[in-house]
Amino acid sequence: MLRMRSFLPPLLFTLAYAVVSLGVTNSYYQLILTLVPVWAVFGLSWNLLSGYTGLISFGHAAFFGIGAYATALGQIYFDISPWLLIPIAAVLGGIAGLLIGFPTFRLQGHYFALAMLAYPLAILYVFEWLGFQEVTLPIKRDAPIAYMQFADPHLYTLLGLALMLSTIVLTQIIERSRFGMALLAIKQNEAAAEAAGINTLAWKLRAITLSGAIAAAIGGFYAQVLLVVTPASVFGMLVSAQALTVAMFGGVGTVWGPVIGSVILIPLAEILHAEAGARIPGIQGVIFGIAIVCVILLAPEGLFWKLRDLLRKRNAKATASDTVATVAANVTTLRPASPRPATGEVVLEVRNLSRSFGGLKAVQDVSFKLHKNEILGIIGPNGAGKTTLFNLLNGFLKPSQGEVLIGGRDMSGQRPHVICEAGIGRTFQVMRPFLRMSILDNVVVGAYVRARTDDQARQFAADAVARVGLSAVANRVAGELSTKELRLMELARAIAGQPRILLLDETLAGLGHGEADEVVAVIQQLARDGMTIAIIEHTMQAMVRLVDRFLVLDHGAVITEGLPEVVTRDSRVVEAYLGKKWAGHAAN
Amino acid sequence: MNKTSKGLTRRTVLSGAAAVGLAGVARAQTPAEIKVGLIVPLSGIYTRPGQVMKMGAEMGIEHINAQGGIKALGGAKLKLVVIDCGDTTEKAKNAAQRMVAQEPDLVAATGSYLSSFTLAVTEVTERAELPVLTLSYSDLLTDRGFKYIFQTAATASRQSELGLPTLMKLAENASGKKPKTVAMLMDNTATSVATAKALKEKLFAQEGLQLVVEEVWTPPLSDATPLIQKVRSAKPDLLLFMPNAVSDAKLGLEKISEFGLGQGKIPTVSFSITIAEPDMLQSVSPETVQGIMTIVANWGSKGHEALIAELKAKYKEPWMTQNVISTYGDMWLMKEALEKAGKADRNAVAQAFRTMDAGPSKYYPGGQLKFDEKGRRVGAGVVIVQWQSGVPVTVYPPELAQAQPFWPKKS
Repeated sequence: MLRMRSFLPPLLFTLAYAVVSLGVTNSYYQLILTLVPVWAVFGLSWNLLSGYTGLISFGHAAFFGIGAYATALGQIYFDISPWLLIPIAAVLGGIAGLLIGFPTFRLQGHYFALAMLAYPLAILYVFEWLGFQEVTLPIKRDAPIAYMQFADPHLYTLLGLALMLSTIVLTQIIERSRFGMALLAIKQNEAAAEAAGINTLAWKLRAITLSGAIAAAIGGFYAQVLLVVTPASVFGMLVSAQALTVAMFGGVGTVWGPVIGSVILIPLAEILHAEAGARIPGIQGVIFGIAIVCVILLAPEGLFWKLRDLLRKRNAKATASDTVATVAANVTTLRPASPRPATGEVVLEVRNLSRSFGGLKAVQDVSFKLHKNEILGIIGPNGAGKTTLFNLLNGFLKPSQGEVLIGGRDMSGQRPHVICEAGIGRTFQVMRPFLRMSILDNVVVGAYVRARTDDQARQFAADAVARVGLSAVANRVAGELSTKELRLMELARAIAGQPRILLLDETLAGLGHGEADEVVAVIQQLARDGMTIAIIEHTMQAMVRLVDRFLVLDHGAVITEGLPEVVTRDSRVVEAYLGKKWAGHAAN
Repeated sequence: MNKTSKGLTRRTVLSGAAAVGLAGVARAQTPAEIKVGLIVPLSGIYTRPGQVMKMGAEMGIEHINAQGGIKALGGAKLKLVVIDCGDTTEKAKNAAQRMVAQEPDLVAATGSYLSSFTLAVTEVTERAELPVLTLSYSDLLTDRGFKYIFQTAATASRQSELGLPTLMKLAENASGKKPKTVAMLMDNTATSVATAKALKEKLFAQEGLQLVVEEVWTPPLSDATPLIQKVRSAKPDLLLFMPNAVSDAKLGLEKISEFGLGQGKIPTVSFSITIAEPDMLQSVSPETVQGIMTIVANWGSKGHEALIAELKAKYKEPWMTQNVISTYGDMWLMKEALEKAGKADRNAVAQAFRTMDAGPSKYYPGGQLKFDEKGRRVGAGVVIVQWQSGVPVTVYPPELAQAQPFWPKKS
């Protein structure tokens, strides 16, 4: 139901556009109407990779150009119809995506963007070297339809629209599926995504393959519209920039962004070129540039998000009310801790784990056991190696020495998503929520590691949200939440993957007294429900009431281990926290 | 287009009729004005050649109208419609579509400087059945089987075929011996690549020239040192230097001069008008370019003195490049076709171009005002231009020469 309804707006938009285009008889306006869906699809292909994963590609012209040249050269040398060549172009684009993605995804951030910039420019020179400076599609006077050479320019527009509609629908399907969720998770925090059980490299490769295929297909169609292919017109900097421009203007990371950008910018550029350019040649570029700069300043994330935020604000005024109170009530119903039966079964065993960074021994020779259903508090002063220990446990770091046994199996050195699949979930000291997504959607990301289908994932997520007491606000966007609610949401994301062991990294940080108690209550309830938990925390107070056992680290090594009452009186612990002077006091 | 559209929807026929039909209506009464198009780059990096072509077109229109307009149409005046084709292939295509959609009563057009732009423009005009004259010289333009494109310049491959033997003769006459070795430095634009292909595959062997250095760069050239070093160590009898951007030409020539190869130590020849553009003198001294020759499709020559003087007075252009004289000539060619057609109709004008045989050409070098079945001007020749005392003057063919060529002597 939901799905069908979401396909309605693009369908209506496409139909309206088609009706408008059929009413236009001027062949020049018709050409502009054809170019709008072309650049919209190219923007969408860019958006599929860069908009959702946040890995900015300055080089989408590589795929576009491969498609355009494949379509042109296939007609010239093999006399194949473009009806066949455009799908072939898509396949080639996909292969190019895979070949480019595999080495380039080793890079991140600006380095990725710059490396991507190099591909089309390099390919441009290859095509010049091959002698394809100017390629024109052979005119087919006897079989124009078979070679996609329509006398009626409306047909180009309709074909362009068909491509746009299918790309929009495809993007929407992806957006809602495990695929889209994985990409969004990568965008927010690639490390956290790995920790949530997402094989980031595999998803990124899928994204660039699909993105390259779409870009190449539309590049092939573009060649068919332009009839002339030159390296600069399909591999040039301006082509790559066009994809960024329409997507960033309209809105990044949404299916409507590139469409909005293209619908506004392409005709605007042409009108300026035709009207202003005829009077003062060159002025069109200046006006166009200023217009884009203004919109970027006023709506940095694109028009779509700006408009949506405005609408949401208006709606929020009308409906904002009682939700907050119900949340609080929901959480306080949980009772304080009561002793739990410790079964004694070891679920996680760490043996002689060490990791050094150069000369710094961040973790040295740490061994401990985590028993089923217990809460282990890992404490120690700043720089004691607590977070490094977690990073070793969940695979962010490879240990220099030692073993991590999960359920008896050595998992040390495995990638994070593999360890997550083995049943370890974690939260982070620094929260990275997906601010524009609802709480439920945020949590779904974590559910896919166990869920087989999208529906099952939503079910797991809803359960997780209920367990942390956020059901009442599940549909609000994360950007509107308080720190406490965000902490709970992070917790929900970690348990949505149904882990056996939960690693909590300073979950209580930044919370006030009352708030911390509420979160503690939730964690206790999780433990009562059978979860095994290791938690890092600075503040002793809350911890003493929460944990069954303490592991104390200092300078990367275990200084003691034991029950809370014993550990807090241990002079070595006091010394580690407060210094030698106070250790003496404590002994007395 | 007409043949295929009949089977299509009613709308196709209507829109087709809208484009072609208006011209038909216009022919019923004798128009006071006949529109001709100039579709050239007036924005972006190719603005300058576009502007110069506009000067030529404006002068042509002015002269034709001053001399009584189109006599066969009761003295109707020509009116120039200028369309900016921008600096990309896509913009050129859009501009051409705008031209045929917005100006249905155009009878002919000329353009568009860069052959890539002309290719895109003529894809549109061919389908709209609008005849287009062009000074672009890519062979591809007239190899597509198009019926509405007319190329006034010799094609790139023809230019090298014509140019190199002439150049060799010039060298032999002036220095007493034939050059034996040649170095070739070129950028990788379509024009240079086409020229080089003809040279390497056929002409060097035919002229007994041995290619000793061949270097290709992608514009913009950042440093010419390694290129010129290779030339210096190879000591060829002839250097073919083929840039298509003024900045590249400047870098190369300065380096040639710096290495002591200038002033004719190694005779240097180019194949485009870039090296003879007025802009060159803004960045290099007349001494640096002295003696350098270039083989071009057209140039202000003997017999054009009045025109050159007018250009100087009116537009402050120091001399007349191919862009001016060819576009000026195109206006006269359109007039010729209109007189022959006897009506202001694009198809009649196209037919007039196809069947025209108007004798020797006044504004293009060599050959006739006549087009072959591909749309290439019959007998189109080349001009050799040489820098002499800060001005590139025509030195070949003799009937057009403004000055005697001098072959730089090896010292």
